[in-house]
Parts: sequence; structure tokens; C-alpha cells
Amino acid sequence: MAVAAPTTLEQIDWENPEQIGLWRDAWQRFRRNPIAVIGLFMVITITLLAILARIVFAFHLPFLQDYLTQDPANSDLGFFSKGHILGSDYLGRDILSRLLYGAGISLTIGVLTQFIYLAIGAGVGLTAGYFGGRVDNLLMRLVDVWYAFPDLLFLLVVVSVFGASLLTIFVSIGLIYWVDLARLIRGQVLSIKEKEFVEGARAAGSSPLKIILRHLVPNALGPVIVSLTFGIPRAIFLEATLSFLGAGIVPPTPSWGVMIQQGYESIFAHPEEVLTPAIAIAITMLSFSFIGDGLRDSLDPRMRR
Amino acid sequence: MAVAKGAPARGALLSIRLPRSRGANLALYIARRILWMIPVLLFVITLTFLLMHLAPGSPWDRGGGRQLSATIVQNLNTKYGLDKPLPQQFELYIWNVAHFDFGLSYQYENQTVTHILLESWGPTFTIGVLAFALIVPFGIGIGVIAALRQNTWVDFLAVGFSTFGASVPNFVIGILLIIVFSVEAYHLTGGNVFLPPGGFGLDFHVVLPVIALATLPIAYIARLTRSSTLDVLRQDYVRTAWAKGLRERLVVMRHVLKNSLIPVVTALGPTFAFLITGSVIIETVFAIPGIGRSFVVAVSSRDYPMILATTILYSVLIAVANLIVDLLYTVIDPRVRLS
Amino acid sequence: MDVSTGRLRWLRVPTVIVGCGLVLAACGGSSTSNSNMAPNDKQILRTNSGTEPNSFDPGQQTYDYEGLVGRNVFEPLLKPTTDLKDVTGAAASSYDVSSDGLTYTFHLRQNAKWSDGQPVVAKDWVYGFQRLLDPSLAAGYVDPYFDTEIAGAQNYGNVDPKDTTAVKTFINGLGLSAPDDHTFQIKLATPAGYFKWAVTLWVATPIRKDIVDKKGYSTWASNPTDVIGNGMFKISEETPKDHVTLVPNPNYWGDKPHIQKWINYFISDTNQAFSKYQTGELDVLNVPLASQDAVTNDPKLKAEQHKYPSLNTFWLAMNLQKAPFNNVHVREAVSRAIDRNTLVNQVAKGQYTAVQSFIPKGMNGYTPSLGSVQDYDPAKGKAALQASGLPVSAYDTVKLLTRNTTTNLLLNQYFVNQINTNLGLHWTLDTKDSKTVTGTYLRKGNFQIYGSDGWGADYPDEQDWFDIFTTGGCHGTNWGCPNDKSYDDLVAKGDSALKQSDRQSYYDQAAALMENQYWVAFLYNRTEVDLVKPYVQGISDTGIDEGIYLPGDFHTNTIFIANH
Repeated sequence: MAVAAPTTLEQIDWENPEQIGLWRDAWQRFRRNPIAVIGLFMVITITLLAILARIVFAFHLPFLQDYLTQDPANSDLGFFSKGHILGSDYLGRDILSRLLYGAGISLTIGVLTQFIYLAIGAGVGLTAGYFGGRVDNLLMRLVDVWYAFPDLLFLLVVVSVFGASLLTIFVSIGLIYWVDLARLIRGQVLSIKEKEFVEGARAAGSSPLKIILRHLVPNALGPVIVSLTFGIPRAIFLEATLSFLGAGIVPPTPSWGVMIQQGYESIFAHPEEVLTPAIAIAITMLSFSFIGDGLRDSLDPRMRR
Repeated sequence: MAVAKGAPARGALLSIRLPRSRGANLALYIARRILWMIPVLLFVITLTFLLMHLAPGSPWDRGGGRQLSATIVQNLNTKYGLDKPLPQQFELYIWNVAHFDFGLSYQYENQTVTHILLESWGPTFTIGVLAFALIVPFGIGIGVIAALRQNTWVDFLAVGFSTFGASVPNFVIGILLIIVFSVEAYHLTGGNVFLPPGGFGLDFHVVLPVIALATLPIAYIARLTRSSTLDVLRQDYVRTAWAKGLRERLVVMRHVLKNSLIPVVTALGPTFAFLITGSVIIETVFAIPGIGRSFVVAVSSRDYPMILATTILYSVLIAVANLIVDLLYTVIDPRVRLS
Repeated sequence: MDVSTGRLRWLRVPTVIVGCGLVLAACGGSSTSNSNMAPNDKQILRTNSGTEPNSFDPGQQTYDYEGLVGRNVFEPLLKPTTDLKDVTGAAASSYDVSSDGLTYTFHLRQNAKWSDGQPVVAKDWVYGFQRLLDPSLAAGYVDPYFDTEIAGAQNYGNVDPKDTTAVKTFINGLGLSAPDDHTFQIKLATPAGYFKWAVTLWVATPIRKDIVDKKGYSTWASNPTDVIGNGMFKISEETPKDHVTLVPNPNYWGDKPHIQKWINYFISDTNQAFSKYQTGELDVLNVPLASQDAVTNDPKLKAEQHKYPSLNTFWLAMNLQKAPFNNVHVREAVSRAIDRNTLVNQVAKGQYTAVQSFIPKGMNGYTPSLGSVQDYDPAKGKAALQASGLPVSAYDTVKLLTRNTTTNLLLNQYFVNQINTNLGLHWTLDTKDSKTVTGTYLRKGNFQIYGSDGWGADYPDEQDWFDIFTTGGCHGTNWGCPNDKSYDDLVAKGDSALKQSDRQSYYDQAAALMENQYWVAFLYNRTEVDLVKPYVQGISDTGIDEGIYLPGDFHTNTIFIANH
């Protein structure tokens, strides 16, 4: 489906039992990767700005229609005019504050969607891997069928059926993309099941489920975290795409997709109105990709080059 | 990467044992994959069908102005068979699809969906093929060059490009291209020189949409090629080749490229799927009268037969592309055996 | 103001044409000789209707972008004069009405021919009307004909479209007849002073039975070049989703158009259309709200603007069947709270004009004195809320329903903001996709207030307007469902009265009633803004033109390309 998330995950041998000190090592490696640190710094900055904007503007400024400062002949203001750093839009609303408000929406969707990925993906993956046999076969067939769906088409239909709200959007994105995670986790469970120490633990009378969970978590956490990190920009991208196609978040909520869609209509008159949210999305997605790449490199020592 | 998407990992569908000739094996494999498409399509159709009929609003509702009277709505429902109970409509639809009859469009009165799809196929196909033609040479080229010049500025540029290209949404790239090459070029040259911001034609019209559509796959393939080439470069036989003093071009062509392309081939399946869904977005950004755009319009106008037919078409295309990629995989890498 | 802009530009075209435009009926097409006119091979007009017609069968058309087929490839019986005061002959040279107002006799042109050279005869008209009223065809725009007018058509809703005998009986029982080849007679069930206007609609055309029989009843026009019409143009070629080409119909009875090739594109993307106009690939371009600034800020484009008033009115529709809008004071407050001047000048960038009454300027029966009760006045609005006797909570958190199209969102965000600012309330916008708004909310009366609702004239007679607010139009043409018996009576009297002055007085009373009761909050009138290249001349626009592709599309034969 969408290839935004590099798929080299499968190429990594996650079954390396050398877990001791992995997290500390990983952090050391991550810190030494300047690109990844820049990404992390950017994401933290964007998050703080989004939170700060909500507190400072108190849900007001992004929606304030300021006609007094407008010149009827040329009502949308350009950059740095009349107190609006990034100008104002066609209803005299401050673009900077709308951009920051939109950051909150994008991040919320990006993060919340991961919980749904995780819930369904882990549920299906664990069940399939743990029970194996017929259950595994059935669930994996389901995963195959799910893969065969043209994802964006399906998303458009789902959102138009259930109406475009923040809730439907992140639920339906989550419902469609859980399959990657399900496959990943199933693979982990299967490989752990075959390990000698599991056989040993089982012989010693431990509950198999307990074993799986105890050994799975440290083994699978790395790849799952990487997968979720790449899931965030993908969700942000999908929300913006839906909004751009007119099926996503609805105005007056200033999501970035909505801002792009509206600015796009008058691109010849006011190109800057579509440029700012477009750049904001690009920067955010890049930052998350930087972090994702950094995490993947640092969680698998053999990936370093 | 494991077997591409859509492929049954270990299909339990047909487990008849046949003589172990490679040809028979291949035929059986293909037959099994094609048969597997039937339940997949049934699932796709059922889900889409149910969802569509759950959708609020009817195809006959108007965006404004004079609404159709209740009588006319009723007559239209009769005309298009929407007055029948849902299971019966579904049964009829499946029956018709089995006979390659996708019905009449609701939006374009009295035009068959097949007719509309055939009309819209040209632009979608053209843009897709042109993008594909860019993806393979550019993606692989950038990846191989970056790997051969690892840790130089060339590599840095290539990695920078592929990170940017793989992270930035394609509609954002499309809009950025429009701003630079259409809007700003228009303003700077007083409206004399600029690329068309939309529409379709076999001229300058295809430039921006093809670039916007191809950027992400190029970045993705470049990234993949770079890492697989780096892997191959570390192999003993390549080191031997270098040690023998063979010329660079020969080493690259004979030893490196051939082996580093194996993982790249598997990525072509998802790439194809991406081109298909990408066409929905790109055709909207650039107002190209293709299938993706008519799908977006069909969703908002509740043109059920059009939505269903497009979904089926795209599912089949993705499945066939994956099948081809898997077959290609066995050709390139003799170690891979069809199960 | 907008009117004068339109006219001023128009006055710049050579005097011969101006004279014709003002008194077209007298002038006819005698304006053919003009020294400024480009040679025939340069008479190419390129327009954009934005969308491909859903059907090339005039009977099955309903949308404005389909008008070019119905108005130019086919020709209705009558057409409006340029000033819209009355109708004039088109496919019929004249018509008589019986003294009881029930029988309309149309005298068809003796020399009228189809584009394939066959004569147009009265039975083609009978067939065209019968087919339009056939329930199994389910033609979308059948409303103006079947509900009250044509004798026998009142049964339309009771005929089972699958019962072929019943359908046949129904069709043959309609009051349509052809006493001879050049006389077409329509019998009405009740007198209808506006019926002369109804037959100017593009759906009311003759249809060739032999072609329909050969190519299929509902699908005969699937291939546009198969369409044989009686209008001044014929379709020479169509590229699906791209463009259609019209050329003069060599067999047309009257003055041939100057335009030798009319290419109409189906470009829905406004940016793309805009750049095509810039590069000279389009000669006429409709300017959507979002592109207005790009035009205003460019002196060259600004000079090429062609503005003319269009007969439409837009309003906020309030649900009179539900709290809080069943309270007239709350409705008054809404109307008082919206500053229409800021709306038209700043939000709408000068494309709209402010209105406070139903019938727009330019309609027959426009009464300037109406509408003052809906003046913008926040103080009076707040007072009205006080007078409503309702607790603040009853109207504080209303949801304004709107469609998710660019223009609707733009305007309704403004309306909500105005109400919240001027009345100190906390309304929110409830945005849904277009089909959901109509199907789930409006048709079921499941909303509080909805914007922007509006009406555009099918023809410049007030019947077309007042009928929509009758009880019968509840959840069909009007959403708020005022269901007022006295209004229904006034409109029924206005519709059937034979004397125009009587009709006027009934309609004015009806208008005053709805305005005083604040059934809706009247807001604005949309002015058509087109960009027209200076060499496209001879445009004589009317308020019911489809400016979406070409102003002056009712009188296309006066349009020509000047030397350039």
C-alpha cells in the first residue's frame, strides 16, 4: 500500500537475544545521529508550539474574523502585514495562529491513530502467532485480503459514509493500516515460540502466554516503536489528503489539509496561503521520518554504516 | 522483504500435488493466485457495497436549487433497480459483474460505467506509465550512484532527496510545483511562460503531474537500491572482482547491479499500488480527467456503480501487479522457488 | 452598481450591435455586415462550462452547465426578449391563448428544419412533450409541467412506471395535440398566466421519434454526435470529459450565427481554466469567488470583466417547525444580525449585491419598496431576542448546517461569526457533504438553520418563485416549511389570475407576508462575473443566462469575433 514507511523493517534480524543494555546503547547511538536529533528537536518544538498556541490563543484568535484591517479590494493580507506575521486569510483570520492550531490537530490524529494500530495489530498478531494453525491461517488470510484493498479508495468511502469528524478519521485510518503491525508482531511471536529458552520455560511449568508476553515485549518493542514512529507521519499525511480531497476535517476547524484545500482554490491570487500549510506538513513529516530513521538505525546496531 | 502484498504466504487453497516440472508448477501457481482473487474480490465488493448503501443521502439528492420531486425519485429508483430489497440488489450486482456488466452510472445518465471507465482510462494510464518510466531508471540510478559514492556529497544529496521525497505528501509536492512553475513563472514572465497547472494533454500538461506522482516512488526505490547495493558491495565476490582489477563499470554491471536489484524488484509491487492510489490525489490536484478523479467525484455524488467498479478495477490491478512482480522475482533470483 | 458596470462595458461594442441588443425582436439578425468582424475562419468561440453535460438529451437535463445543448442545439417554442419583459417567437412564430386561458396554440415556423434537413413538424413537438412527461423516463425537470399545468398530467405521480399500459394511457391522455403539421396545441388543466414562460425552458423541445426508436428510448443521445436538433447550432464532435464542438446548423430556419465553431470545454478546475484564459485558449471564463482577487489585482483582467445581474436570491433557511425558529422574534434577530454590506464588499469581494427581499431586481414584478423589515440592525436583533420570551439557552448554541463546498463554507463561517458577534451567542457551523445535507437533514426537516439556500429564476415570472414556499413545496423546494394557508391562497390566486396587475398584487401580498414573518433571512444576490476577451463582441446578456459558460447564451446569434 502506501510506501511512505520504508519497509526495511523486515530486513532486520530482530530476534537477536542480546538485549541487555540495548536501550541505553540505542539512546547513545540516537544521540550521536545529528539528523535524528534535529528531527526530535523539531517534533518537540512543534508539539510545544501547538500546546502553547492553544493556551495563549484560547481557541479564539484562529477563528477571529478581523474585517477592520482589511482592504476590500485586496482583503487577504500577505506576510508581515498589520500584525499578522504570516498574513490573514479570506475571512481576515490570522494564518499563523491557524497554522499552530492545525499542528495540534495533525499531531493528535497522528498519535491517536497509533493506539488503534497497536490495539488491532497487536490483537490480531498475538492471536495468530500464539494459537497458530487454523486460527493463524484464517487471520493471515484476512490480512491478505485487507492488503488487496485499494486503501485510499476505501478510506474515502468510509469517511463519506460515517461523516467527517476527528473521530471517524483517526478510527478509519487506524482500521485500515493495522495489518503491517499485525504481521510484524505475529512474526515475533512465531520466532519466540521456537526458541529453546521458551521450551525450557514451558517444561518448567510456566504459562505459555506469560512466556510469550515476557519475552515478546523486550524483543518486539524496538520494531514496534519504529513502526509506530513511521505510522505518525503516514496518519498526518492521510488526514491532510482526505481534507484536501474534501472528505476530511471540516471548517472552521483549521486542519492543515483544510487550509491547503481552501488556499488551493485561490492559488493564483494568494499563493502564500497554500504555501504555508504545505511547508508545515512537509517539515512535520520530515521530522518524524528523521526520528524514525534514527530509531531504526540505533535499535539495530548492524544497520549502522 | 517477504513475498509482496496480496500474495498468500502459504495458500491452503489448492494443495493438489502435481508432477514437479517447473512449467506445471508455474501454471499451478498462477492458477492458484488467480483463483485466490475471487474471494478477495467478493470481500471487496461486499464491504464496499454495504458501506455505500449505509452512506447518507441518495444519488438523486441535489446540491442546491430545485430538488427532484418524490415521484421522480421513486421513478428513478425503479429505473435503476434501487427499489428492490438490498440482498436482491446485491445478488443481481454480483451476477452482472460475473458477466462483466457494471451497470449504468447514476451521475452520467444512461452511460454505462464500463464506457466511463474506458474513457477515463487514457489519462490515468498515460500518467502512470510515464511515472513508472521515470521511477525505474531514476530510482535505481540514484540508489546505485549513492552507494558507489558512499559518504560523499553525491551520496549526501541522494539521501537528502530520498528522505525529502519519501516524507513529503505528493499533493504538497504537486502544489509546490504549481506554485513555482505555474503561478510564480506566470507572474514573473507577465503570463507568457509557465507550465499548465492542470488538465491533460500529451504535451507540457504531463510534466508536473508525472513529476509529482513519481517523486515518492523514486525516493523509495533509491533508498532501497542504495542499501541493497551497499550490502552487495560488501560481498566477497565483489571484493574479488575489485581485487582482480576489473574496471568499475564492468564490476557494477556484472556483479553489483544484478544482485542488488533483487530486493528492488519486490518493491515494484507496492510501488504499482502506490501509483494507483496516488493517481486519485494527483488527478485531483492537476484536474486530470482520469479514473482517480472520477472516483472522487463518484463518492461525493453517490454514484454507486461507479464507486464499485473503480474499487474492483483497482483491486484487480493491484493483485495482477503483485502476481507479475512475484513471477519476475523468480526469474531474477533462481534461488526463489514457487511453492 | 453591478448593472451599470455590465452595461458600460457592453456599450463599447459597435453601435449597430447595441441597437440590436436593445430591440432585438425588431432588429432580428440584420446585423450581419460589420466591418469590424473577423473573417469566417476566425469566428471561433472557446468557452468553458466546467462540467460535461450529464446527458445530451434535452429532456433529461437539469443543470445549468447543460444549458448549451437545450438552448443552442435545440430551440424551444418561445424565448425571452433581452429585457425579459415578455416572450418572443422562437421555434413557434406566434401563439394564441384561448379566452379562458386554457388552450395554447403555437404556430410553428413553416420553414423549420432539423439539422439533418428534415422538416420540424407538430408531431415532433407532441412526441417531445409526451416523452418528457413519461414516468418511466423519470425526467428530472418535469416539475414545471406536471404539477398543475398540462391537462392530464396531474396523474403523473400515480402512474406505475413499470406498467407499460398505464404509462401509455397516461401519455395519450395528455392535453397535447397536433391539428396540422405546423400547429401545436397544449390544453391546460387550470389557467396559468405564466405558461408562456414555461415553454421557454430548455427541456421543452421537440424530439425525433424515428431516432429515439432506432437508438433507444432513454439512451438515444448517449453518443452526442447522434443528436439531431432544431436549434441554430449542431454538435459536430465531442471528446468525453474534455470538450464539445458546435457548428452552425445549415438547415436552421432563421439567421445563422456568426460563430462558425463553438468549442466548449469541460474544465472543472478553476486554476486550470484561469490559466487557459490567460494563454488565450479560452475566450470567456466564469470567475468564481476564489479567483476574484486574481482578477481585481490585474489591471488587464479587471478591464475584461463582464458583470451582469443574475436573477437569483440567497438566504438562510430557518426551520419553522422546530424550536427556536418557530419563534418569529428569533428569526427576526437572525436577519437583523448579519451585516450584508461587509458580506458583499469584503467576503464576496464585490461579486454579490445585498438584498433583503425575495424577488430580485430585474424580475417582472420586482417591487423596490419590499424588504425594509429585514434591515441589518444588531440593537433591534438583541431586542427581538428579548421579546421572544425564550431563555437564552433556547437559542444560544444553534448549529448552522452547511454544505462542504468552498463558497458555502466561506459564507457560512461569516454568518456564524456575525451572529455570535452581534447577538453575543455561541453558534457553531455544522458542515456535511452535499448529499448528506440534502438527504439526511433537509429532506427530513432535521435541521435548525441552513445556509445558503437560494433560488435562481428558470424564467422571469414570479410564479416560478412564489410556488417554492407553498405547503406543497415543504421538504422539496423549501426546507423551513412555513406551511401557511393564507400564503398558499395568495400564490394560487396569483398563479391563475389572468390579468398581470392582479397577479402582481397577490404576489406582493405574499412577499410582504413572508418578509414580515421572517420565514428566511434574505442576504444576497449573486452577480455573474465573467472574463470576456475584448474581441468577443455582440453579447446581449439577460438575467437568466448561464454565465457559467457564456453570458448572452439566449441570443447566441448576435455574438461575433472582432478583428484582433
